[in-house]
Amino acid sequence: MEILAISTDSIYSHKVFRETTPSLQNVYYPMLSDRTHAISKSYRVLDEKTGAAFRASLFINPEQIIVAKLVYPREVGRNLYEHVRLMQALQHAKNTGKGVPANWMPDQS
Amino acid sequence: MTIESQNEQQPFYATRDDQAPTFSTSGFVNGEIKTFELEQYKGKWLLLFFYPSDFTPV
Repeated sequence: MEILAISTDSIYSHKVFRETTPSLQNVYYPMLSDRTHAISKSYRVLDEKTGAAFRASLFINPEQIIVAKLVYPREVGRNLYEHVRLMQALQHAKNTGKGVPANWMPDQS
Repeated sequence: MTIESQNEQQPFYATRDDQAPTFSTSGFVNGEIKTFELEQYKGKWLLLFFYPSDFTPV
């Protein structure tokens, strides 16, 4: 699985943010700049009032179809465990050809 | 109603089961600035992680 982080900040803001924030020292994923807002708009995750993207996660399959879209409230951060579970469940469903029940966890068959 | 006039009234916005909109933009990784395109990720699972702003809690 690949991860791309995207905001409407400039590439130079990403560079400074990445290099000066202690919690990002181990970050390996690319940080993309959507300075024109074109990407955020096309995925409908742009807050037109602030010009910033929503806190939103798009899961895209190997055929480049969007299979899930999570949009979070302004004031609440994401559940990263759910992101991992969802990605593993999608791959499990594809490998087994079966649906994945509610509350499935990766250690279940 | 033609497809064109429908599109005028309701612009296309990507959601579940849609083809992911393509993009090409600059990104920062491993100390370098590179160009990133959606097409580079064909054949892989991809997570696009949109966030409001650098220097604020994610």
